[in-house]
Amino acid sequence: MSSLGSVPAAGPSLSMASVTEAEALPAEGRTPAAAATPSSFPGGTLEYARTPTPAAANTPAASGWGAGWGDMLDGLRSNLLTLVLGVISIGGFFTLWYFATKYQFEFYVRFRNIPSPVLVFTEFVDVIKLPQFQKNLVTSIQRIFTGFAIAAALGVTLGLLIGRYRLVRGLVFPSLEIIRPIPGIAWVPMSIMLWPSSESSIVFICFLGAFFPILLNTMHGVQTVDKVLLRAARSLGAKEGALLVQIILPAALPHIFTGLGIGMGVAWVSLVAAEMISGQFGIGYFTWEAYSLIHYSHIVIGMLSIGFLGLLSSALIRAAGTLAMPWHKTHVNEGRE
Amino acid sequence: MNIVTTSPGAGGSPASTASRSAGHVDGTTGASTRGHIRIADMGIRFGRGARGVQAVSGVDLEVRPGEFVSLIGPSGCGKSTILNVVAGFLKPSSGSATMDGAAIDGPGADRGVVFQQYSLFPWMTVRTNVEFGLKMQGVPRSNRQQSARTLLGLAGLLSFENHYPDQLSGGMKQRVGIVRALATSPQVMLMDEPFGALDSQTRVVMQQILTNMWQQFRLSVLFITHDIEEAIFLSDRIYVMTARPGRIKAQIEVPLPRPRTAEMMVSRPFLDLRSQLHELIREESLAAMGGELKDGGLEGFGTEVGPKGLSELV
Repeated sequence: MSSLGSVPAAGPSLSMASVTEAEALPAEGRTPAAAATPSSFPGGTLEYARTPTPAAANTPAASGWGAGWGDMLDGLRSNLLTLVLGVISIGGFFTLWYFATKYQFEFYVRFRNIPSPVLVFTEFVDVIKLPQFQKNLVTSIQRIFTGFAIAAALGVTLGLLIGRYRLVRGLVFPSLEIIRPIPGIAWVPMSIMLWPSSESSIVFICFLGAFFPILLNTMHGVQTVDKVLLRAARSLGAKEGALLVQIILPAALPHIFTGLGIGMGVAWVSLVAAEMISGQFGIGYFTWEAYSLIHYSHIVIGMLSIGFLGLLSSALIRAAGTLAMPWHKTHVNEGRE
Repeated sequence: MNIVTTSPGAGGSPASTASRSAGHVDGTTGASTRGHIRIADMGIRFGRGARGVQAVSGVDLEVRPGEFVSLIGPSGCGKSTILNVVAGFLKPSSGSATMDGAAIDGPGADRGVVFQQYSLFPWMTVRTNVEFGLKMQGVPRSNRQQSARTLLGLAGLLSFENHYPDQLSGGMKQRVGIVRALATSPQVMLMDEPFGALDSQTRVVMQQILTNMWQQFRLSVLFITHDIEEAIFLSDRIYVMTARPGRIKAQIEVPLPRPRTAEMMVSRPFLDLRSQLHELIREESLAAMGGELKDGGLEGFGTEVGPKGLSELV
């Protein structure tokens, strides 16, 4: 169901980049709005500590029971509203789809051959049991995670070095800048020639898709580390190695995770394109094959599966980000009531 | 009141003050002999050639072991630049800066630095922030944990040891910043407008905490501020700087007894010193803003606006 919302997550890199950047920025200049609660300290003066967030809930919490219940009710109410709106949104989409196919809506766009949601659902229940379909899913997931893992390791390492050392930047960055604008799909023929198996060539294309967003965001993160933090660390005796690993890396983590999120999206785009052109398995191959075999409902099943997997992998990265950065709260402007 | 006005660029006069009052300092602060900072005829220039800017020139300055010295002056006069040289972040373009006789070469844990922008590492808890300096020295985990907890306990911050900096108020952040700088037992504390970002009530409390702390630890402190009362309340000696390029305009001994208390801030000597410093700083602030304040800028408006206010003019 919720797979519908995932289409942008696995969507084209450029729009994705602007959205994620825009979300990431306010987090840096955020003004914590948490309530202040008094607590005394030896010396007799009053100091104000902001109410601890759940991340640090193991420390003495300052909020009382009464406030807790009120907050919970408020939270429940806003969650309920989100749920209701979500049901209306997704239900509305399926209703439109249903009627468009039922009455074979035709006005420039043609719904004549489009399968109805009911047909797609009944076919899906059958298809999901087929070992062939499961193998397609597993193959795609393996390719994505292999390519992405290599891209993450290499992108973050290289991003740190390029961001920190002018010599490395001067030596490595210009050649990367030539390769960067070439989209993953354009690499398909070259990749087939370059790599011994079609498997490794598809993984390579996934890698390329994920690599550049991760590299560039890491670089940007390194270059925007607050200089005062570097000075503070050096005045406490940190040498270059400690500075890189213990200060610059964690300070750049918010940017790195932005890069990982974008990279994952682009990796999916590249994967599906590569599978459609040169694959023998995989969810992209499945979708294209369904079109060749005039098996229309399978096209939709393939698309929705891609969307769902894209959503899942974005959620995984977000979860990893929350785990890796317990101090970091992303304050997103939630918009007008 | 001992006011020694140094003519700009002329070296030597701080040295004579040093010999005169060295006995006094030793008498009050005990046996500490380390943490002696000396700056001699120092100039700092940013950039090269005609487009370069002379930030400070001909600065002679000294912080004797266990002495609390403030540096005040109009904004942009190069106060922080001088501190950055002592911290080892900058190299002087001319002249010398030494600590206990050795030329300062890069930052080090023997000089604790407290910054105006708190500069706590946001991804570390309060305790791991305090532990960081010890970690860099290779102190084993359990030892440094214990040291950090002891220090945090002394500062009344122990119950916040597992908080992240973002969860603390400005005053608490800066107390953690001071504790973190103290953790490596430096001989010198360098404080760059540490209370500049705090509201005035918190600031007064922090000044009291700092002066009590200094009384216990007997460190040499170089304290940058633009707040005259803060400088008098905390310091043994105050250097006043000129507008850019910054030079030492005067150095003033603060005759108030130790330990300092809040009541002293309304005493006769305090108020006299304050007005004196105000006059010294005012001249320099006017000089610093010289270009901006031409053509009646200081009067606000050159013409009488009248009862209808601005609507009559525009």
